[in-house]
Amino acid sequence: MSVQHEAPRTGVRTSPGVGSPPPRRLSRRHKELAWAVIFLAPAIIAILTLRIAPSIGAVISSLHRGFPGGVLEPVFSGFRNYADLLANEAFRDTVVRTVVFNVIINPLQVAIALMVAVLVTRKIGAPGLWRTLIFIPATVPIVGSSIVWGVALRPEGPINAIIEALGGTPQPFFTSGDQALASIMLVLSWIGIGYWMLFLISGIQSIPEEYYEAARLDRAGPIRTFFSITIPLLKRPLLFVLVADTVANFVVFVPIQMLTNGGPQNSTTMQMFNAYRTTYTYGSKNLGAAEVVILTLIMLVFVAIQFRMLREDRPTRSRR
Amino acid sequence: MTATTTRLRRGRSERRSVALTILAVLVAAVFALPALWLLLGSVRPSSEIFGSLSPLSWRILVPSSVSLDNYVTLLTGSFGRALGVSFLVCALTVAVGVIVCALAAYALAVLQFRGRGAVFAFVVISFMVPFEAIAIPLSQLFTSWGLTNTIMGLVLPGIGNGLAIFNLRQHFLAVPTSYREAATIDGASEPRVLWSVYWPLGGSALANSALLIFLGQWTAYLWPLLVVSESRLQVAPVALSRTFGEHTFDYGQNFAGAVVLSVVPAVMMFILQRSFGGLSLATGEK
Repeated sequence: MSVQHEAPRTGVRTSPGVGSPPPRRLSRRHKELAWAVIFLAPAIIAILTLRIAPSIGAVISSLHRGFPGGVLEPVFSGFRNYADLLANEAFRDTVVRTVVFNVIINPLQVAIALMVAVLVTRKIGAPGLWRTLIFIPATVPIVGSSIVWGVALRPEGPINAIIEALGGTPQPFFTSGDQALASIMLVLSWIGIGYWMLFLISGIQSIPEEYYEAARLDRAGPIRTFFSITIPLLKRPLLFVLVADTVANFVVFVPIQMLTNGGPQNSTTMQMFNAYRTTYTYGSKNLGAAEVVILTLIMLVFVAIQFRMLREDRPTRSRR
Repeated sequence: MTATTTRLRRGRSERRSVALTILAVLVAAVFALPALWLLLGSVRPSSEIFGSLSPLSWRILVPSSVSLDNYVTLLTGSFGRALGVSFLVCALTVAVGVIVCALAAYALAVLQFRGRGAVFAFVVISFMVPFEAIAIPLSQLFTSWGLTNTIMGLVLPGIGNGLAIFNLRQHFLAVPTSYREAATIDGASEPRVLWSVYWPLGGSALANSALLIFLGQWTAYLWPLLVVSESRLQVAPVALSRTFGEHTFDYGQNFAGAVVLSVVPAVMMFILQRSFGGLSLATGEK
């Protein structure tokens, strides 16, 4: 560091010198603003072209109606696409399915991740090893985990072999309308739980040991300790993980496209896949745009909550 | 309190710790065994992946022979080329992305200007909306801009990363302001301060940002699917997914592809941690 040894000179140079202080100050502020504009320009341009422009494009496109084949220009049609979508039972089912899917999978993943995190932070042998093993699935990209479970849950696959060996009847998994969505949840949870566990472990470890000692002195059992100390003191990381998980699972796409293609009987069609299918398979760009807008609006609510939670984190983190 | 009760209590807590360890082993097994099965399936003949199942035997986790045939076939085929494309896209994105994010983070952490908080919120929120949500309309824009089937088209959406900017800003906020003051007094301009004061101190935060940007691109699936149709620019995850389910006897190769896709980020994480992990700000200020 070349700067370091020159620090003592600070006092000498900043003392009122030749120039009068107020204008110098002003120009310095202007200079900082100019540099801020230059430094922020690439990021802001990226946001405007890669985020805002397509969002506006989607809104405009969703307010138009195209014609099959795309020979004629789409015409303005107001909110007719939205009205059509809301009147369409299949679309309403898709929205409901997406919401139900998220209401189930996110609390479930977070609850299991919490239990696992508590387990591996207790006094056990080789905690680091078990943590690593549980985290391993999170390093498998979703394409990879879709392949593993796509094969493992085949009718003649190993999971059914295990079920049979235990005396059960083989299950259809992805090929049944009743089990396909649950099977998708399994694929996502295999990679999700270990990932969110990491966040919760660091949350648990930042709870001061004194609280647990106090609980021990009060003769609180492990369950009482868990509900009266761990959960309340872990509220923020838990909420953060829950929202971040929801944001991720709202746009789930890969396992659906690879494993079920939305079926059987649309039982795994969720909003993201539906928008993709409407736009590319069915070629209805304007209707697809309306679906994207609806999806994005729902997402924005969750993102706003997530941002609030990151923000409140600031004072504690910036202080060293 | 007598010695016996303490001993009793210690005995009980030891027993509990053993029980919890056993539970941890079982949980770890549930998560790790499918990964182990994936790894084993990638080094044995495809026919054997299902061969050991009925009746279920220990052979499910013990291959009769181990070979790298699946990897060789896979990497010499179209997947090998796709891996190259993925690496190129990731390298370019990380190189550009880290600079874009560091510049933004510096402005939002160090420079004083009115509306900084609002700009910060705007930047982070915009990048936090999952990219997938706007991928479809963006791909239509890219078509009209002539960016479909180009490396640029694959790279561009990855360069901004809200979490990377957020992390770098946190990190920059922790750098003592006296460093910058000293450098400014010596006549250093803002880019100079960023480059020779903040960048070298960025260490782990820069490595983290690089990793975030890398992972975003390495696992990208929907966007490459939308923006690339030519097979010469196919990225690895899409190439892998294309071959999946076509022929049952290719499972070994599919597994090998999944292993390759998983190992690369792990290696990357290891390298970044090794080269940047040790830096600390604690000793800087006098």
